[in-house]
Amino acid sequence: MKGSIRFSEVSKVFRWRGSRSRRETLKGAFFHRWFRRRGTTSEEHVALDGIDLEIVPGEAVALIGPNGSGKSTLLKLTGGILKPTSGTVEVDGRVTALIELGAGFHPEITGRENVVINGMLLGLERREIEARMQEIVDFADIGSFIDQPVKIYSSGMYVRLGFAVAVAADPNVLLIDEVLAVGDEVFTRRCLDRLARMRQRGVTMVLVSHDLDLVTSFADRALYLERGRLVAEGPADAVVARYRSDAAGDTDRGHEEGQARQVEGDRRWGNGDVEIIGVELLTGEAPSRMVPGGSSCRLRIRYSVHNPVDDFVFGVAWHRADGTQVSGHNTELAGFVPRRLASDGEVCCVYDSLQLAPGDYLVDVAVHARNGLAYDYWCDALKVRVTSEVEWPGVWSPPHRWLSTGPEWEKSGAKDGTDQKDG
Amino acid sequence: MTVFRLLWRHRALVAVLVRREIDARYRASVLGFFWSLLNPLLLLAVYAVVFTYIFSPRFPGGDPYPLFLFSGLLPWLFFSGAVLDGSATLVDNGPLLAKVMCPPEIFPAVTVVSHLVHHILALPILFLAMIVSEATDLKVFPWTFPLVAVALIPWILATGGAVFAVSVLSVHYRDMRDLVGHLLNLLFFSSPIIYSLEGLQVPIVLHRILALNPLASLVVVYRDAVFAGKVSSPQIWLTAFAVGIISWWLGTRVFAAYRETLVEAV
Repeated sequence: MKGSIRFSEVSKVFRWRGSRSRRETLKGAFFHRWFRRRGTTSEEHVALDGIDLEIVPGEAVALIGPNGSGKSTLLKLTGGILKPTSGTVEVDGRVTALIELGAGFHPEITGRENVVINGMLLGLERREIEARMQEIVDFADIGSFIDQPVKIYSSGMYVRLGFAVAVAADPNVLLIDEVLAVGDEVFTRRCLDRLARMRQRGVTMVLVSHDLDLVTSFADRALYLERGRLVAEGPADAVVARYRSDAAGDTDRGHEEGQARQVEGDRRWGNGDVEIIGVELLTGEAPSRMVPGGSSCRLRIRYSVHNPVDDFVFGVAWHRADGTQVSGHNTELAGFVPRRLASDGEVCCVYDSLQLAPGDYLVDVAVHARNGLAYDYWCDALKVRVTSEVEWPGVWSPPHRWLSTGPEWEKSGAKDGTDQKDG
Repeated sequence: MTVFRLLWRHRALVAVLVRREIDARYRASVLGFFWSLLNPLLLLAVYAVVFTYIFSPRFPGGDPYPLFLFSGLLPWLFFSGAVLDGSATLVDNGPLLAKVMCPPEIFPAVTVVSHLVHHILALPILFLAMIVSEATDLKVFPWTFPLVAVALIPWILATGGAVFAVSVLSVHYRDMRDLVGHLLNLLFFSSPIIYSLEGLQVPIVLHRILALNPLASLVVVYRDAVFAGKVSSPQIWLTAFAVGIISWWLGTRVFAAYRETLVEAV
């Protein structure tokens, strides 16, 4: 299937040819061979050691771990930039790597010509690129600079154009290596919004980042690498927590988990007649923690019934991390009269247009009786990041536009409130 | 052969990159594209003055000397220019290689093709010079001039092979570039470019050594076509083509051997 990635028994060994190697120069190579016929093995570095891995189409996976743990090597193997020393890497579909944005731009020629060349290097046909040119120029937001030589660009314009070309290549798999760290805040936000839209379309994503907050909001699953081996793998929150505690030098695992459970005890209560077993936000088909503002999504609550009940309400409350209440809604207010809840199932709350301003939101989910008796009340069951190209302040971001008769002004070509464009 | 097929498949990309190379070179200059005509013209003018009024070397069949020299130098400039640029092409494009999954063969090929384009742009100057010298009774016009198209084939193969080898070796060995400079110098003076082997008054040993130079046959077939106005003997043609094919084969073999570790070394 397009967008799937499979590693089996993959190892990658680097031989030093850098400053440490005698063989850096021809002269060195000559004498090395002459005097030491048997090469020393100390010049080898095992970057990845027997990695097995399977990523399904549409999944977003983060690679975390300390520096030198093999994250970027794994990414480059996925992109076909490096070849494994042993084992096989299978990737289906077009892969684009966001590794060094704007790499390969030639300073003397115009942005437009560079876009064509970069696009062709990424595997697009010339006419495909020309068809997408306007979209690329719009996203990069560089206006008439597109016809200027790239050498006069600011570094921001350079990176924006690089990003715009890479995502315009319409990949099935997108590899992202810390690129979101390079731009300014505005750029990062726009990129994140774009990536969220691509996720909705089912693009598989592999992310390398040291920004653990980004990892938990972006990825479904995380892989924790250390010295070329897979240490832990699972839901992003759990793996990030493990990595955080490892990084803090806390090796007392049992203690850590006990603490976590207790924290959860404060944030979740109820008599357990009905148990919420999962809360997910679905954008498109896949679950995600990231949703572009103004787009449609569904909140899916999966539950399991331990003692059948006749009186029940499903409810959802959105709030900001600082405690600001954003919205609350439940099935009772929506007019549903409960009859009986006896079998396991799921309840979805559908939002046709999630008109929230960009930022992080926490969602409480509950199933309780009409008088308030909680079967399962789960605070902060889900953390959702809403993205947008523009940093709208506040919590509500309705589609809007401006009409005027008096003022004279011109428009910068940038967004207005109605601009909830769809990827 | 597989390299040819690969390059053919990516011909659109090669074409675009060659264009970029040529565009970028002339973009910031006043005369722009005319530089590629002006460069050989200036070179020829300087030779004409220096070797007519200051020195006047004599070789059998080497008259007028400025044109003799120019017709030997043009293909050499194609070869040496491409090889020198070739030693930097993969290093310069390192960031791209580390980012995009494109075959690295593209970059040395682009170097060769863009130098070939420059060479072809210089040919009209050579052609005009021959017409002028016919008109001024300096020499007879070489009617074999169109054979240059055939003579270029071994040049392209030999240059291609050398550029493939040099490009990948300079990534792995950083002193390759200096070495290439020296080797090119040696090769220049041991090739019959500023002299011809026939009229050479040197010890027989040195003559034999010079005759071994693989580039000699390539220079001869080229110059016979565009300057001397004769068709070289089949033996020389065969040698030239053999040199071209062997160079190409060796170069692509070296490239293949170092290809896998290329991205790591860049």
